Amino acid sequence: MSGQRIVIDPITRIEGHLRIEADIQNGKVVDAYSSGTMVRLIEEILRGRDPRDAWAFVGRVCGVCTSVHSQTSVRAVEDALGIVIPPNAEYVRNLMECAQYMQDHVIHFYHLHAMDWVDVVNALKADPKKTSEIAQSISHWPKSSPGYFSDLQKRIGKFVESGQLGIFANGYWGHPAYKLPAEVNLIGLAHYLEALEWQKEIIKIHTIFGGKNPHPNYLVGGMASAIGLDDASGINAERLAYVETLIKQGQQFIEQVYIPDLMAIASYYKDWGAIGGGLGNYMVYGDLPTNGYNDPSGYKFPGGVILDKNINEIYDVDLRSDTEVQEFIERSWYEHEDGNSAKGLHPWQGETRLKYTGPKPPYENLPVEEKYSFLKTPRWKGHAMEVGPLARVLVGYARGRDEFKEVVDRALKTLDVPVTALFSTLGRTAARGLEAQLTAIWAKEFYDMLITNIKNGDDRMANTDLFNPERWPKQAQGVGHTEAPRGALAHWIVIEDQKIKNYQLVVPTTWNASPRDPEGKLSAYEAALRDTPVADPEQPVEILRTVHSFDPCMACAVHLYDEEGNHMARVKAL
Amino acid sequence: MSLATTSSASKTLILGIGNLLMGDEGVGVHLIERLRQQSWPLTVDLLDGGTGGFHLLTFFESYPRIILIDATLDQRPAGTIRRIRPRFASDFPKALSTHDIGLKDMLSGLQLLGCFPDIQLLAVSIDTVQPMHIGLSPPIEAVLPQLEVEVRACLDAWPAAVTTNSL
Repeated sequence: MSGQRIVIDPITRIEGHLRIEADIQNGKVVDAYSSGTMVRLIEEILRGRDPRDAWAFVGRVCGVCTSVHSQTSVRAVEDALGIVIPPNAEYVRNLMECAQYMQDHVIHFYHLHAMDWVDVVNALKADPKKTSEIAQSISHWPKSSPGYFSDLQKRIGKFVESGQLGIFANGYWGHPAYKLPAEVNLIGLAHYLEALEWQKEIIKIHTIFGGKNPHPNYLVGGMASAIGLDDASGINAERLAYVETLIKQGQQFIEQVYIPDLMAIASYYKDWGAIGGGLGNYMVYGDLPTNGYNDPSGYKFPGGVILDKNINEIYDVDLRSDTEVQEFIERSWYEHEDGNSAKGLHPWQGETRLKYTGPKPPYENLPVEEKYSFLKTPRWKGHAMEVGPLARVLVGYARGRDEFKEVVDRALKTLDVPVTALFSTLGRTAARGLEAQLTAIWAKEFYDMLITNIKNGDDRMANTDLFNPERWPKQAQGVGHTEAPRGALAHWIVIEDQKIKNYQLVVPTTWNASPRDPEGKLSAYEAALRDTPVADPEQPVEILRTVHSFDPCMACAVHLYDEEGNHMARVKAL
Repeated sequence: MSLATTSSASKTLILGIGNLLMGDEGVGVHLIERLRQQSWPLTVDLLDGGTGGFHLLTFFESYPRIILIDATLDQRPAGTIRRIRPRFASDFPKALSTHDIGLKDMLSGLQLLGCFPDIQLLAVSIDTVQPMHIGLSPPIEAVLPQLEVEVRACLDAWPAAVTTNSL
């Protein structure tokens, strides 16, 4: 056999620690194993605490999506206790979530994923005048003069010459898989820097409504920000006007920079519309309520499941049913209390009992035939599922929502590719951009709803009827869900005697990056990596493309273990 | 901490970074809580940066001077405090912070944008990261008073440092 196993550990430009082992034969991945090599025990820290405080702890799990965990947590508690939050609070949460999407997706595209497609070093060879012409042909964005690109090129040149590669270290520059002309590489690089500046603006929406950022404040029953148009210290007319300005600037950046760049770059990589598809099963819990959290028909992101790429049939998801979402540990470093490691547990009955049986680091390879990850393996009715932007765009499209059809059809037409090209690495990356476009539009809609509601005299921001635990039942259980930028996220809580008895998070990256299940079925990363071409096993940029297209965020899927963190792509003949 | 505005243009930020849920790794954040109990000049702001990464960019851009406190796993005895004057992202200890896409990428970006602030880093050596543990181990708890002294020394050191831009 002329195969090789390569190990990429850690995968860089993600949050947290992910290891991929891939078997390669004849220039293609024939099998892949995804391992979370850090451990997460947030569940243990929450047990016995006041459910009203859980949001503050889960918000600290990760530095990227702090707000979505906090929001999911308050929703879980509200669900358990039957608390309905006022419309203003719903709009504010939606607005913050839309801001998170806009920021997260832009950061992912430019700062975590673009380097898989854009060759930074090659950008130094670009002709600034030609670059300017191309930039002006794809967008009206004002920063596009030859002088602008030439100044930037000099600055980067100096930076690279001084040996300060910084963010550009760990790149496979000059690899034949990079296909962009030097000028498009330079545009990508210019917007890398502009995006860095831009992203800090949009997230000010979190500071305004959440009181602070990072780690904005949430509240069981609503939001902690008092509304008063004439109130000097609360959310007043001036602050609201500032929010409107931020939304508008965000929309402009996404429409005039992100989307044109995405389309321009994608047009050189259309072959990736047939690579990295993987499972073909997609799941969305649904989110962004327009008529209250308890009315899923009003969600901007409709929920649903698509199986085997069949967009003509959609299944509903019930997070309360103990036969739908279950977590397995057969291939993970955990054990069940009763010793039966083959059974799946619904999160309300979930257990988090760590039992590491893997090799002592440093090790060559993981025992992939046994247990090989700190991630559990979630399944929906036994099916492996992909969650995230592609799942949401497909479910919205399959549900016949006009907004989704419009952006999807336009993108397919621009790129001149069939709808089947969506089931791919490129489709995942494109879907993220389309979603950023939609959430930027929706942010303004939620802003308008908020203003209208306030002007109609409703200034309620929280429902505190059940804030006092003395009014709670002795036992209650709830589930809160959110569509986090990386995918479907849910927290399950069991409350007893006013304290948390059990708390389980099933996070998007766990769905996507988990190991095999007891039946040996692959999860989303592993499935998507099969058949990926790898031109040079020493420089597996193709594997990074597919893994990054999922936007891995291991920090909340697992937790820290490693220290020095040297990037390696180790190759070994099998 | 409210919105960073132009009023921060002449101020110094004391910024503690870390994850409260990972034991000693959260030392920067614990220190900020401690410093909040004391009085500071009006020209000084305190910020619990959490695990903020990219979220912190706005602060790095708006404050010309930053005192950064973070944990590092560098094999030195737990509680060792090193004062570093990083001028490039690569001057930071390799094992600083737990966030791959966070701090160092952001700092490299700042450098490219041409707005790298004057930073004094207090790197606190820790033995191990205790996942899902709130609170500090005795050796790290014990260096908090010394860290506080170091922070004040950083503040005092500044007028001269700004003109020479080196240690």
